[in-house]
Amino acid sequence: MFRLISKRLFSALAVMFVVSLITFMVLKWIPGDPAQLILGTEATPESLEALRTSMGLNLPWTAQYARWLGNLLQGDWGTSYLFGENVRTLILQRLPVTFSLTLFSMILAVCFSAGLGIVSALFQGSWIDRLSRSLMQLGAAIPAFWLGMIFMILFAAQLHWFPVTGYTPPAEGISAYLHSLALPSIILAIGESGVLIRLFRSSMLSALNQDFMQSAQIKGLPRTTAILKYALRSAMIAPITVIGSQTAKLFGGTVIIETIFALPGIGRLLLTSVEQRDIQLLQGIVLFITLMVVLFNFITDMLVIAANPLIRMESGGNEV
Amino acid sequence: MKKHSSLLPGLLLVALILAMCLISFFWLPMDPNKMDTANRFALPTFSHWLGTDQFGRDVLSRVMIASRSALLVGLGSVSVGTAAGLLLGSLAAMAGPRLQALIMRIIDGFMAFPGILLAMMLVAVLGKGLINSVIAIGIFMIPSFSRLVYSMILENKTRLYVKAARSYGCRSGQIVISHIFPDMLPRLITQFSSAVGGAILTESSLSFLGLGIQPPSASWGLMLSEARQFVLSYPFLAVAPGAVLLVAALGFNLVGDGLNDRLVKRGSR
Repeated sequence: MFRLISKRLFSALAVMFVVSLITFMVLKWIPGDPAQLILGTEATPESLEALRTSMGLNLPWTAQYARWLGNLLQGDWGTSYLFGENVRTLILQRLPVTFSLTLFSMILAVCFSAGLGIVSALFQGSWIDRLSRSLMQLGAAIPAFWLGMIFMILFAAQLHWFPVTGYTPPAEGISAYLHSLALPSIILAIGESGVLIRLFRSSMLSALNQDFMQSAQIKGLPRTTAILKYALRSAMIAPITVIGSQTAKLFGGTVIIETIFALPGIGRLLLTSVEQRDIQLLQGIVLFITLMVVLFNFITDMLVIAANPLIRMESGGNEV
Repeated sequence: MKKHSSLLPGLLLVALILAMCLISFFWLPMDPNKMDTANRFALPTFSHWLGTDQFGRDVLSRVMIASRSALLVGLGSVSVGTAAGLLLGSLAAMAGPRLQALIMRIIDGFMAFPGILLAMMLVAVLGKGLINSVIAIGIFMIPSFSRLVYSMILENKTRLYVKAARSYGCRSGQIVISHIFPDMLPRLITQFSSAVGGAILTESSLSFLGLGIQPPSASWGLMLSEARQFVLSYPFLAVAPGAVLLVAALGFNLVGDGLNDRLVKRGSR
């Protein structure tokens, strides 16, 4: 098991390295001179040259990359020229919004899809199975920004159940905080549910066909007990991986919903940095999001290892 | 087993969008860019079937003309992704272990960029606009196609017919092109169709964020972004572009699913 974990850890680090290289190289191609961008068009050639030297822009790209990576590892994420502030501070300020949004929508999506997926597996071919199939298709195709607007008109403007836009931090009241994130979370959850319903359904179906279900039946267990005790537990393992990677992807995909509901999260910061070509900020955000993705996937892998007795037992020495 | 239920409705929806695009080349109800300030935010009438927008432009004409850019970006970017994915995936699968590991690590790296993050980053570099959207979304599509091609070739590489081809002197490139490719085709077509749905949604997302197609050109995402500013006073403005977008994405997804049921699942059994 130790070997497996260290192998996963190594591949996570390798991916992170490649990601940092891609981010660095891609953003290196942005046309224009960063020094000019910072100092403006009226800067003297001497001051431009001085800034270029101090930013290391005259070094070969390998040296620039090494320097950038070194700074990152020491916690220096650079300064946003747009905000004039430390990139790390800017990101951390906006983290709670995006984090809560991701968390709530994944909780909603998992509960909803697990319920619907398992029920449609138990009653395969029934109306609820067909209904969940249609919902799956619709959930995958409906544009989040359109659904966002519809919900906003319906539940916020007409029914006044939720605020139209804006974010209330939890410090100003838990109820207001939950209210401000409810609609965006529901919309994100609908988008994520399509894949998850399908997954829970097929996972439950295969659990129901396992030998242990048959032996439970042979030894006389009522079907309900067998389903509750064995099938459900077995059906929960397979989706873990996908839930993990979906959570990670969602974390980087909140920009549209944050834009619609005017939530001050990382997605909005990302959009601003793209629009204004604030390279240091963009680099920081992209790396932060991908770091989260890799971290989430790693944690998920570990959870799967912990949940799967077959893998755990391999640590007994007879590795495959 | 149920019959292939999603192929027919999917094809119908796709045909609807294709027809709209084709008709837009011959006939539009009105000039999509003609402003009529006296007639802003009009509800549907006989002269404006879907009403008018904030500049008094005819919504139906704009929805129709936007289908061109949606299909161009959708089909164009996925073609880019498929072509590059085929090349990279087969290169990785047929190359030696070193090159294989290198290519796959890079692809893993690209896979770590979630959602439209990669597309947004590429827009920051390339700039906004239609052609850049095609390139950005095309690059965004490469990793998943490369992975698919790579795994399909690896699956086939040990099969008897490939060994046979190799034994009578077939070279790697030729094996992939003339022997493995026909076997990959069903799954590639399936993936292509689903990816077009995704690409159309990504294009409209980029346009919605103001990073894709620029005004005064029409794009469903852009129209929705404009509608958003007036959504509380004139909600009707958001109905048509969103509905058409849903039809397009749903259509291509359903076709992908239907093809999957028909070509892939049946073929493997």
